[in-house]
Amino acid sequence: MENKVEDREVLLRVENLCQYFKLGKFAVNKAVDNVSFDIKKGEVFGLVGESGCGKTTTGRAIIKLYDITSGNVYFKGQRISAGTRSYKDAIAAARKELRNCKDDGRKAELEQIISDNKAKIKDAKACNKNVDRKLVNQIQMIFQDPIASLDPRMTVRDIIAEGLVIKGIKDKNYIDQKVFEMLETVGLVREHASRYPHEFSGGQRQRIGVARAVIMEPSLIIADEPISALDVSIRAQIMNLLNDLREKMGLTILFIAHDLSVVKYFSDRIGVMYYGHMVELASSEELFRHPLHPYTRSLLSAIPQPDPNYERNRKRIVYNPVADHDYRNGEPTFREVCPDHFVLCDDAEFEKYSKIVSEEA
Amino acid sequence: MSTEMDTREKKLQVKDLTISFRTINGKLQAVRNISFDLYKGETLAIVGESGSGKSATSKTILGISAGNTIIESGEILYDGKDLLKISEDDYHEIRGDKISMIFQDPLSSLNPVMRIGNQITEAMLLKNKANRRESRKKLNAIFRKLDSVMKETKGGDDDKRFDTFKKIIGQQSKYEAPYSQARSNAEGGLKAAEDMLLSISKDAVANPVAETRELAEYFRASVDRFVVRDEAEMKSIISAMEKAAHESAKSKKFDSLKAQVEKGRDLLRKALENESPDFFALGCYLVLGNNTLGDENSAELNAKAQPFVNNQFMMGFKSDIKGALIASAKKSVEGMENAIKALREASSKLSSAMPERAEATKLAKELSDKVEAGIDPFETVKDSFSYTFRVSLTSAMTVYYDDIVRNVAEQKRFDRQSARYARLEAKGKAPEEAVAPLSLSDLSLVQANIIKILDNMVSQYEQQLTVARAYDFDKRTEAFVSWMRETAMASFRVITKSLAKDRAIRVMEQVGITEARKRYRQYPFEFSGGMRQRIVIAIALTANPDILICDEPTTALDVTIQAQILELINKLKKERDLSVIFITHDLGVVANMADRIAVMYAGKIVEYGTSEDVFYHPAHPYTWALLASIPDLNSKGNKLESIPGTPPNMIYPPKGDAFAARNKYAMEIDFEEQPPMFRISDTHYAATWLLHPNAPKVEMPEIVKERIERMGGQN
Repeated sequence: MENKVEDREVLLRVENLCQYFKLGKFAVNKAVDNVSFDIKKGEVFGLVGESGCGKTTTGRAIIKLYDITSGNVYFKGQRISAGTRSYKDAIAAARKELRNCKDDGRKAELEQIISDNKAKIKDAKACNKNVDRKLVNQIQMIFQDPIASLDPRMTVRDIIAEGLVIKGIKDKNYIDQKVFEMLETVGLVREHASRYPHEFSGGQRQRIGVARAVIMEPSLIIADEPISALDVSIRAQIMNLLNDLREKMGLTILFIAHDLSVVKYFSDRIGVMYYGHMVELASSEELFRHPLHPYTRSLLSAIPQPDPNYERNRKRIVYNPVADHDYRNGEPTFREVCPDHFVLCDDAEFEKYSKIVSEEA
Repeated sequence: MSTEMDTREKKLQVKDLTISFRTINGKLQAVRNISFDLYKGETLAIVGESGSGKSATSKTILGISAGNTIIESGEILYDGKDLLKISEDDYHEIRGDKISMIFQDPLSSLNPVMRIGNQITEAMLLKNKANRRESRKKLNAIFRKLDSVMKETKGGDDDKRFDTFKKIIGQQSKYEAPYSQARSNAEGGLKAAEDMLLSISKDAVANPVAETRELAEYFRASVDRFVVRDEAEMKSIISAMEKAAHESAKSKKFDSLKAQVEKGRDLLRKALENESPDFFALGCYLVLGNNTLGDENSAELNAKAQPFVNNQFMMGFKSDIKGALIASAKKSVEGMENAIKALREASSKLSSAMPERAEATKLAKELSDKVEAGIDPFETVKDSFSYTFRVSLTSAMTVYYDDIVRNVAEQKRFDRQSARYARLEAKGKAPEEAVAPLSLSDLSLVQANIIKILDNMVSQYEQQLTVARAYDFDKRTEAFVSWMRETAMASFRVITKSLAKDRAIRVMEQVGITEARKRYRQYPFEFSGGMRQRIVIAIALTANPDILICDEPTTALDVTIQAQILELINKLKKERDLSVIFITHDLGVVANMADRIAVMYAGKIVEYGTSEDVFYHPAHPYTWALLASIPDLNSKGNKLESIPGTPPNMIYPPKGDAFAARNKYAMEIDFEEQPPMFRISDTHYAATWLLHPNAPKVEMPEIVKERIERMGGQN
């Protein structure tokens, strides 16, 4: 980790990711709406927000557990998934205009747009179909609930080795060797391999979950609230384990959590999500020093600290989207207020935030 | 009030509680000999990891422990009862109503096939009738007792004053209930109108018709004799508003809607500025003055009714009650003095030798009678010791004499079996089964326990005597009359379905559920996990309990909602003088909530103190480890101090300190013997051998020390 985070190559790029779910016939739940970010090699990227804001959905969309609605996900420079909704919308808009269009020049332009977008859709579908599985295998996930995410009828060896078996490795000795190695890496012992998940405590189960992800030698791990289901005394063990693995194997981690003090401790950069949008993105020091978006401020003001005196005087800032923003003059967009610090804002807010930053700097 | 020396009333006392679970692998010791007190209006946080016995304790308090639970010993004293010894029927009156609980798992604590609204109002409606009956019973009993005491002092209740008093309260509740309902709706409507005006001003109204309908519900429900007096005006505003909403939905112009909403808002604002009527005075005015209600507004009524509050009737009523209180207190003081004498005698007699069974039973009965003679029936706060004295003394006696019989039988069995074993061995046949070891109960311990019960009672009564001798009877009379008013109100408080719905919606809004009116009719599966948790909290809060047990209520929620819920619980605690037991493992939340903290590990309380004590001067290595293992906002980069290993298996509890195996400060004695509670200050106790005078001086870990310094908590 000699070179600075800023100079490192981009490992994962998420572009305008949208993930919609249908609710009944007409209603649509925009779980993730137009989210873009980069994750650089070797860094820990934290994703925070309240429950239901789309953190987990973002993680799952990246690892291709969902077919994304729109946007692109690039991993190591290759596109691994693509959505088509935005192209379809563009086609529909162009067709609508075409119907009433008199101007021939404009007509040709619109037809060009339609055919372009059709080509893009074809391209996206082909990309989704022919994606390099080996590449996607380099992204692994650690799940939130260590009890629900392990098959109770498989031994620990089978659970950890499953990925290798699916990958097509048949050499039993090699697999055993790898499993034992992994068990020791995560702080368990060889003898545990023949046991079943119910014989372990919560912390040990989560270690199995980590081992299962790490055995695939991934370059990116998506850790979806890996410690929130664990006991306090065990949490530190798992956090230290993830930190060790990161140093030893040069892992990149997308860390999803709602506990901000943990995220701050663990992450290099943090993205804050609110109802499907990413509202602020900055390095963790910067975010905690200059929170700009009112939601981030409210979130930071709500963190309880183990300090009774501080707690007695803590004032919580309430975020009310209707009162705090005035978006009549234009939709807010994601802008860079100062280097590497992005906020979702419109023109007026952009000026306000820039002023705050320049004053405080 | 029984212990004014302590200034605070003890709401709940847990003494030497030991709980085990029967499992297929053996008996699991979940809670080992814990004791704590819960004062009125305070929050006691119980901190510990899963399996440390936090939930087992709280479930036992509520009488809902699992079927395989064995309560080995202990007492849980609440309101003159030992909760471990009362019947299930008696528990029905306490559970949910007096002691309420917010459960950890929102998925399993809601009924999936019932609408949310019904689940919130269910308990309110069901309990209402029983509550009224109970209050009526309580009130009538007090009236009877007052009557009998008055007979001695002044010849009884000739002029039917109690009936008049009840009538006054009846009138009071007749007007007060609809008033408070309408007023709360007016407040809700005012807030909703402000919100709507704000979103109109920012062009952010998504669905004007639905939003207006919701607003109109508030407006309609705020019409009452004392709140929004002009019903016709309100109705015209509502219909104009709804018309404007339909128009604006089409035209996307909100000017006319805005004007109507503003009109409604102004009407509500004006109504809320009105003086609130004094309903007790109103009751007096109607009943004592034989008046009828005309068209007066509340200020006029207050002025008219005020003279009736302190008229001849009420003054006479109060002075009679005062006389009765003085007489009864005098009697109770005599009773206590007698009881103390008898208890002292019995204690010295029993500690030298236990008498025969029949004689002891007689003695127990006599003592209990004497103790009960010392109870003042007009004490509104029951001191649990004297009320449970009979049960605990009798059961301790029974244990003693049963054990004598059992010990003889056990000795016989052992002798017989070992003789047989010896015989077989002498013949050269190796017997297959070994002889079960002799298990005799230690009678001296049971005897000491009986003595302890007597001595505790003596010290309790001595304390009460000093208080009783210094009573201020004017103050007591006021408190007693207001208690009577409260109880009488409760016996008239009818909760209708619409009232229950209103209250449910208000609580739903309080816990942060938006569009409460719409969500009232939804099913649990339509809610997210955090929302469901809030419903569970709402259900617990509607009961208006004395004691609220929160079992990890916010663990599943994110920080903003967590902060909101914690603020709500704190607010309710202040408003209702609620006692809260807060179970959690999040130390940040503990710092926010707790007045006092009990740290539990492996079924024992290892450290116990005020929140300053525990956070700024932690003494137990487990507390150090807990504090060191969480990252705070300033601990970047440095490795966390994790606690190695896992908690011990409590089917085979370790011989010494349960934390010894994971404790890097453990000494040899930690593996040999369990540490007692060492006293650090009057409020702060910890169970670790490190506090023993002979122990080596050990400093707390650097990381904890640094953090405490950073917090600036070192005073």
